[in-house]
Amino acid sequence: MSVRPRSPRALGWLITGLGLAAGAALWEIVGRETGAAFMAPLSETLLRLAELAHTGELWQALASSLALFGAGFALSVAVGVPLGLLLARMRLLRIALESYIAILNATPIAALIPFILSLMGFGFAPKVLVVFLFAVFPILYNTVEGARSIRPELIEVARSFRSTERALWRDVLLPFVLPFALTGIRQAIGRALVGMIAAEFFLSASGLGMMLQSASQSFDTATIFAAILLVTLLGVALMELGGALERRYAAWRNIRT
Amino acid sequence: MTVESRLAEAAPGAGLARLAGSTLLVKLGAGVVLLGLWELGVRAWAPAYVARPSGVLAVLPEVIASRAFLSAAAATLGAVLEGLAIALVLGIAVGIAMGRSFAVDRLIRYYVFGLFAMPMVAILPLITLWFGYTGAARLATTVFAAFFSIVLNAADGARAVPLEYLEVGRSFRARRWRVLADIVLPASMPYLLAGIRLGAARALIGAVVAEFFISVNGLGFFILFNSRSFRHNQAIVAVLVLAGAGVGLEALVNWATRHYFPWYRRDEKPR
Amino acid sequence: MSEEAAAICISVRNAGKRYDALEVFAGIDLEIGQRQIVALVGPSGCGKTTLLRSIDGLIPLSAGVIAIDGAPVTEPRTGVAMVFQHFGLFPWKTVYDNVAYGLRLAGASRRELGEKVPYFVNLVGLRGFEAAYPYQISGGMQQRCGLARALATEPSVMLMDEPFAAVDAQTREILQFELLRIWDMRPMTMVFVTHSIEEAVLMGDRVVVLKGRPSTVFETVAVDLPRPRNRQTLGLARFNELREHVWSTLMDEARRAEFSVSG
Repeated sequence: MSVRPRSPRALGWLITGLGLAAGAALWEIVGRETGAAFMAPLSETLLRLAELAHTGELWQALASSLALFGAGFALSVAVGVPLGLLLARMRLLRIALESYIAILNATPIAALIPFILSLMGFGFAPKVLVVFLFAVFPILYNTVEGARSIRPELIEVARSFRSTERALWRDVLLPFVLPFALTGIRQAIGRALVGMIAAEFFLSASGLGMMLQSASQSFDTATIFAAILLVTLLGVALMELGGALERRYAAWRNIRT
Repeated sequence: MTVESRLAEAAPGAGLARLAGSTLLVKLGAGVVLLGLWELGVRAWAPAYVARPSGVLAVLPEVIASRAFLSAAAATLGAVLEGLAIALVLGIAVGIAMGRSFAVDRLIRYYVFGLFAMPMVAILPLITLWFGYTGAARLATTVFAAFFSIVLNAADGARAVPLEYLEVGRSFRARRWRVLADIVLPASMPYLLAGIRLGAARALIGAVVAEFFISVNGLGFFILFNSRSFRHNQAIVAVLVLAGAGVGLEALVNWATRHYFPWYRRDEKPR
Repeated sequence: MSEEAAAICISVRNAGKRYDALEVFAGIDLEIGQRQIVALVGPSGCGKTTLLRSIDGLIPLSAGVIAIDGAPVTEPRTGVAMVFQHFGLFPWKTVYDNVAYGLRLAGASRRELGEKVPYFVNLVGLRGFEAAYPYQISGGMQQRCGLARALATEPSVMLMDEPFAAVDAQTREILQFELLRIWDMRPMTMVFVTHSIEEAVLMGDRVVVLKGRPSTVFETVAVDLPRPRNRQTLGLARFNELREHVWSTLMDEARRAEFSVSG
């Protein structure tokens, strides 16, 4: 069926390396063949990256984007997690709101950007709001999912040992819901990134989004690719972080008793 | 007399819940409260052009009937479905190849992970450069948006096929492609459905932001245009349609999962 | 042993429970003396588990009163510990932490925990597995952990809901004798629900048979087998007599149920 190499790890790295090299070569060749307005070759992109790093433009853009991401994401966690936990404990409230949370989670929040622009104009706050709205619903939705699947037997055990409300949270509710919240946070990272770039595109320009947009307007493909590369690296790094957090705290969940 | 019903007696608010009668009533009640808050809040504090439930209801009939709106809805939803279909066919092929072949997996995994992590909005300048400011660019965006989540989940599914099934295939001397079609594909369906759920959501976002960027006819552009001319109530109608599409696609996938795979538990994490 | 001078520990008077239109049990009268072991048996759905949970204070009665040591039961109280059929171990806590759970809630100090928890972990035969998580140990070991958790609070009343139903037959036998050994060392009042008539007769001083719709106490069978109970007990003629008696009492209901398809 599939290849069973003698030393899988080494062979794996070799193949990956070949794949990356082939991709790089392709990029370089196609870039050179076609016009500058179509695709800049890899070498030019890397040169532009170095240039941007040198002039400081890269770091400025990165810092600005990260600040936006950080503010919006932190806000979404600060609101989403406690609210989700509250719904975990209050069954009536959860039943009332869970359908609406599910609906909002399935709605493309991007559709609301024009309204936010119209109401709040340009500035940092509306962009933070956009990132917040992109990120908060997966957190809420997944936390509520966790709440819905709390095994009632465990609450029963706590009651039979006469647990106080605080101890119930510490021993049962928080440990159970935490992995679900982390799944939500991992999903929220991806969405917040989209929100960040979207805000920088469609609201007041700043950061990596602005770099990308102005390069686009001047057909500067080298900068376009450089910016895309940066954004991608940022995305990969943040999502890896999210994934690692999730795996760390969900070990006991993979094997169901 | 389940454990749940016994414990439901004990949970806070349980008595109230029973009073409320059924969950549907509670949900509808909450919906009315939320709409009421929206209405009152806007009346009290917001300028006249801001959308409110009464305003949306007032313009709803004329918007729904207008040809402009209907063609916009058809354009956007058509692009989403078309993009999803293309992403599905390509994504399943690539994903299963990734899942079953060590070489393919190692070859392309960083590309797939990287492009999956890239926020889809960032690809817009490039796509408009290559496809122009046309519907084709929007289609390319939706395909791009949905493709990678499908690939990753198809790969997960293909990788997770239980060995026992493959053993049966071998003992019946099935050819490789038969194994793929008869065993691997059906066995990975649950993962695939999770991937489609995610891909649909992403395709929807992709279509909307593409329309913002490209200004081609569609629901996203409808929202942009109407919000700029202070016709927020009309624009909200488009948001409702998009929300409906999002919910509808997810409901479809959930139904398919429940119907065809009742044993599959949704705590397998989709990406 | 007989129950002559035993003071009453648990008293159930005219207990009834209904869920809307469904009346589960009614008019249950029961008296359980100090340090007695009583088994509750009956067909599925007869409410014996509900009754047990009512004694623990987890479920309120619709009618009647349950009192432990004279005080009416309204909620779970100290000195009463429950072992659940579903184990109810917290999957994110190790064996050690699970056993320590009840003690920690009661405010035990770190030193106290360090003394008591290892003792009870040893007692149920889980020495060496303190750092393991529930998903890493077998069903029988999980049930032992649940047992240790209850025992660690040194209760005067132990309530057990089909404690050995979820483990295999061999482990079940081992656990039964272990429990008897523990009771011999430290007698306490025990009420347990079981589907196994052998288990009920082997372990109990009395076997209470619940039957009917709604369920009531159909019969109370006094088990006059000598203590301590052990493997030899299983071979006694009296053991077989008692077992057959309970079996035939229950079988009537089952056979009748076979024919009343219309419910």
